[in-house]
Amino acid sequence: MTRAEARGRRRPRRHLGLAARVTTTFALGALILSGALASITYFSVRSSLIGQEESSLAHEAIANAEALKSQIEVAAPNYPYALTSVNSTKGVESILEQAGQWYPSSQTVQESDIPVALRQLVLNGGLAEQLVALSGSPVLIVGLPFRTTTGEVAYFQLFNLNEVGRTLRTLLGALLLAAVVTTIGGAAVGRWAASRSLRPLHQTAKAALAIAGGQLDTRLQTDAYSDLAVLTSAFNKMADRLQERIEREARFTSDVNHELRSPLTTVATALSVLEARRHELPERAGQALELLSAEIRRFRRLVDDLLEISRLDAGLGDMNSEEVSLGPLIAHTVAAARFDVMIDTPPSVAECRVVVDKLRFERIVANLLENAQRYAGGATRVVAELDGKWVRVAVEDRGPGVPDEERERIFDRFSRGSSGRRRGAGDGTGLGLAIVAEHARLLGGRVWVEPNGSRGARFVVELPLHPDSREPAEQAAASSLDEAAGQTTREAAGTP
Amino acid sequence: MPSRILLVEDDQRIRSSMRLSLEDEDYDVEETESGEEALEAHARSLVARPFDLIVVDIMLPGMNGLSCCQELRKVSAVPIIMVTALTDTANVVAGLEAGADDYVTKPFEPKELAARIRALLRRARATDGGPVSLVFGDLEIMPEAGIVRSRGEEVHLTRTEFLLLCELAANSGRVLSREQLLERVWSYDYFGDGRLVDVHVRRLRTKIEADPSDPRHVLTVRGLGYKLVP
Repeated sequence: MTRAEARGRRRPRRHLGLAARVTTTFALGALILSGALASITYFSVRSSLIGQEESSLAHEAIANAEALKSQIEVAAPNYPYALTSVNSTKGVESILEQAGQWYPSSQTVQESDIPVALRQLVLNGGLAEQLVALSGSPVLIVGLPFRTTTGEVAYFQLFNLNEVGRTLRTLLGALLLAAVVTTIGGAAVGRWAASRSLRPLHQTAKAALAIAGGQLDTRLQTDAYSDLAVLTSAFNKMADRLQERIEREARFTSDVNHELRSPLTTVATALSVLEARRHELPERAGQALELLSAEIRRFRRLVDDLLEISRLDAGLGDMNSEEVSLGPLIAHTVAAARFDVMIDTPPSVAECRVVVDKLRFERIVANLLENAQRYAGGATRVVAELDGKWVRVAVEDRGPGVPDEERERIFDRFSRGSSGRRRGAGDGTGLGLAIVAEHARLLGGRVWVEPNGSRGARFVVELPLHPDSREPAEQAAASSLDEAAGQTTREAAGTP
Repeated sequence: MPSRILLVEDDQRIRSSMRLSLEDEDYDVEETESGEEALEAHARSLVARPFDLIVVDIMLPGMNGLSCCQELRKVSAVPIIMVTALTDTANVVAGLEAGADDYVTKPFEPKELAARIRALLRRARATDGGPVSLVFGDLEIMPEAGIVRSRGEEVHLTRTEFLLLCELAANSGRVLSREQLLERVWSYDYFGDGRLVDVHVRRLRTKIEADPSDPRHVLTVRGLGYKLVP
């Protein structure tokens, strides 16, 4: 299983963030509350409105029936005229039944408009009313029987309740709007509350990132949140310890650095005096001197590499990025490493400008060339190519190549590949490729090895043409807490 | 006559080995082990035969290498190479600001130190056969005589500052990249330390510009290099 697959499998499912959850909860709460309030309000207003209307309309119907009664107790009553004369209010119709005959006030009403159940109730001799929907509008039908000289009459009056319906619709709209506003308000309050209660967490995350980014003196304010005092003081204590330790290590590194440099300076200088007098030495002493100088050179390189990698680890050493042309950069770099290698840089690539720390770039290429020299009989070609915002510089050789299973491990410290394990094969330090990987990482790029066609290896360094000037830690701090947490996990996973 | 070199280094073994190595290169070497002694030796040498070059270790007990450089600069324009164990910008720039012309990092290759010394000495002797006087507004440069006047007053430049100014003057109006300046003034290759140029330009500006923070003569061309304009 390759590392990429493993990473893909390990990736955790993305859950809703804490802030999002609090916001959603608040919004839901507000929605339920306002919804309940709105429905209670709506239904109580509706029933009281209609109740009022019903009782007043019933009174009206009774009064109308009284008036009607006198009008139709004549010999030949004109029903429609009588019906409209007792009630000429617009939107109010009536219908009258006498001895199986129906007399509507106008053409708009007919017998079938009166529900059978209501008719039955009224015919059985009582006042009854029913709310029905006639051609889309609510209509209250009040029916009552009365007795005239000519017989039993059932009188039905139909009141159009459009006005009430409109009022209720307006109310419903207002209530719905209020519910929506309340829900949004709830979400806003939730968001605010979440951001407020998450602020100390944000600050902690930011501080942790600042420390990870090298600002070791970052501390949290202990008096800002009294209920989080335990967390902040624990965090600060941890930061104290960390700072102490890192500073002690950095001091140690710089002491070791200094203590090693002084004797090495003497040894290298004295050796150069001896080497200049090689011809004055007896043969055997000369041979011993050659061994001595070769070994001292290797020791020096080992110390140089160790110091370099410890400086890289300690985050010391600064980035001196400048904009240069790719062609001359590669040409000078290869020339400085003193290897005779074919350089394959197409003109379009050579003219390309790149922002890079020249010295770090030189360290990368020189180490790759030395690596090829030591384990593969020398590099055969140095190729540069562009890919969007990236430049890839490859050092190719025709050596034994790197087996699949070693392609990642080969960049670890002191892990020479199987060909490098033959000690006599080289005077390498076992740190060259680790240094390459560190420099590539610091330049915002990466390095890998792949087969060079059928035979040999191809070490590829991929660097950004214009690296983001911001530090990685700053970038993470600028993003949200959720993403920042993800970033931290990723970085932790990347640490060997 | 061999060039005289003053070696300021507190570590006796390093000092002895450096002396052996430098004497092999045919230099006349004098050793001192502290900054104070170095200043005395320098003062004494002025009477008889001044030093042609001084190599100073930055980490010295007592007066450190930086103060030593500053004191020397007050009285002399002699080329100074500092020896440092630290390569980070703060230390290198501090050394260059104090007046050093160049630096080597411990443990240095003796050949590297020899090359740096040769480059500085060669420059110190070189006198370009060029125009007698170059005038850039209120700035007057006399390459032959080694004199620079700014607003009518003579300014004292170190050898490196002077050569840097001459190089910019000889190409006035054109942009010289840091690499070009490193190569022509310090005899470095492509991988020379650009900070050398930056710090020396800064020092040059404090001496010849009316307002060093708003330079009129030595201009920075972002991403490309520096140029001199009238």
